[in-house]
Amino acid sequence: MSAKSTPVTQALVVIKKELKDWSRDRRSIITVLVSSLLAPGIIFFMFNSMASRQRSVEDITVPVVGAANAPAFVDWLKQQAGVTIVEGPENPEEAVRSRREDVVVVIPENFAKNFKASRPAQVRLISDGSSQNARPKIQRVRQMLNRYSGEIGSLRLIARGVSPVVASPVQVEDVEVSSAQQRAAMILGFIPLFVMLSAFTGAMGITTDSTAGERERGSFEALLVNPAPRIAIAAGKWLAGTLTAIATVMITAGLLFAMFRYLPLQDLGIRFRLGTPEMLGTMAVVLPLCPLIVAIQMYVATFAKSFKEAQSYLSFLMMAQMIPGMMATMNPTGTKAWMYYIPWIGQQTLLTDVLGNKPIGVMVFAVVGVVNVVLAVVAIRATAGLLHREKIIFGR
Amino acid sequence: MIAIDNLHKRFGDVRAVDGVTFTADDGKVTGLLGPNGAGKTTTLRMLYTLMRPDEGRILVDGIDAVADPQGARFALGVLPDQSGLYPRLTAREHIEYFGELQGITGADLRSRTDHLLKMLDMTAIAERRVAGFSHGERTKTALARAIVHNPKNVLLDEPTNGLDVMSTRAVREIIRRLKGEGHTVLFSSHVMQEVSALCDTIVVIARGRIVGAGSPDDLRRQTGHENLEDAFVALSGLEPESVS
Repeated sequence: MSAKSTPVTQALVVIKKELKDWSRDRRSIITVLVSSLLAPGIIFFMFNSMASRQRSVEDITVPVVGAANAPAFVDWLKQQAGVTIVEGPENPEEAVRSRREDVVVVIPENFAKNFKASRPAQVRLISDGSSQNARPKIQRVRQMLNRYSGEIGSLRLIARGVSPVVASPVQVEDVEVSSAQQRAAMILGFIPLFVMLSAFTGAMGITTDSTAGERERGSFEALLVNPAPRIAIAAGKWLAGTLTAIATVMITAGLLFAMFRYLPLQDLGIRFRLGTPEMLGTMAVVLPLCPLIVAIQMYVATFAKSFKEAQSYLSFLMMAQMIPGMMATMNPTGTKAWMYYIPWIGQQTLLTDVLGNKPIGVMVFAVVGVVNVVLAVVAIRATAGLLHREKIIFGR
Repeated sequence: MIAIDNLHKRFGDVRAVDGVTFTADDGKVTGLLGPNGAGKTTTLRMLYTLMRPDEGRILVDGIDAVADPQGARFALGVLPDQSGLYPRLTAREHIEYFGELQGITGADLRSRTDHLLKMLDMTAIAERRVAGFSHGERTKTALARAIVHNPKNVLLDEPTNGLDVMSTRAVREIIRRLKGEGHTVLFSSHVMQEVSALCDTIVVIARGRIVGAGSPDDLRRQTGHENLEDAFVALSGLEPESVS
């Protein structure tokens, strides 16, 4: 009967209880940890495997059969950066066919004879074109052989008093748009998706427990008999969920950007800058989405009679929220002004701008934040409305 | 004090509560007695404002509980039919949670909680999480949190259902104590002995209607049965001849 109990203090009491209850739920805590580690983990793994594939081209071991037939040539090969020459296998074709070797260089016995006579001396390059992984290495070896051929050719021309430039009527300039770079860019495009996903999974435990969980345990009845308006109870649960979502997003974004300091991005030829400004920008974009994600989760989970039922509803919801991000990543259409103001699509668009170092107006940030919070309040009022329904209070 | 006048509630074609009228006075224990499915729980749910009656009036200490449910809830302490607890919270935390929702804080909350824990003989389990509690310990926890704000009117839906002898005695003790302090106690039960041992007034309900009300002696007189259980059976129309 105290005058001290206002809806605001009651909401605070609910927040305190829900957070305490949640902090003792090992399953929820593990979910938060796993979901905040998942994104950095996946991205780290993808980048590393790409980088190591790239490195496999830089440091190569080339088996050579018949090295004794061309000692000067083999010495030249050994001097190339990152190249190790080893004795080739007995049966080179068989070794390559069975994928024991990616590539084998065979120097025939007549090499020296032809070479001395300035006739084209044959070198056999044995490779398997159907092997995807070996392709960059094969290409590298072929380039080396061509370069040696070119160098010797130039020397011969000079010896005959002819400028080697004459022998290269066409100069090819390589402008590489390698597949590794494209893939790296696509992985970076997944960052917005992962961060939003972590907000969702981070809050899931507490929202299902404080709605469907109350129904499953039959504790709603006793709770709602308290002289607290439904909106105070719903708001308390909502804010508790929002806090966990925010915490998960901050951990995820923090780990993600900390990880980028250690990723060999240069090896992949990526010139993205991912530092503190990008991290703060990412948080500024995703955090306003947290109240909305939690409010919608709560509304949906309140319809569920049990924890499990709520989780299956929410997993559908989780897939639904990934659709805009997926579509933007797979099929990038131009950015249109309206896109910023639709939740999820807006976050995706804004994050792409943030990570691409495009300047964004403060107004856009503000409007996006306001739109999200307003929608969240609408959803929370709807949830409070559900708490008046007899079927929800009593139905188990 | 609680006054109910001509209460109606239907679920589809079923008239769960069909014109129930009774009063429960201050300093008295009133028992709502009836077989399973008679409408006891539905009546209580309307009384503690979580269910809206189709028709009828409910006054809790003069407050219209249908028009001002919020106001009525301040004057009510309720042990509902489903008194689910939070497995990860301790007994003390349950009591404090509900106390804080009522606006009780600080030293006041602490002393009330300690008092309740002692009164219900729960001091030893106060700091344990309720996940491992027995049925009796759970009921006592739910009861303690329901009356932490010292409500004028206490509603208990089948409080001793499924309890062992010791727990039943503890609950009865609380009911007598609340009565002695001048509270209005209204509890429902389908157990004759329970009601006759505690109640000043018995309200017998069957098929959503009140079929008899008064002191145990009044009921014996009304029905002409010396045995209270026979009186109950006669009133609720459970006798084989009247069932057909």
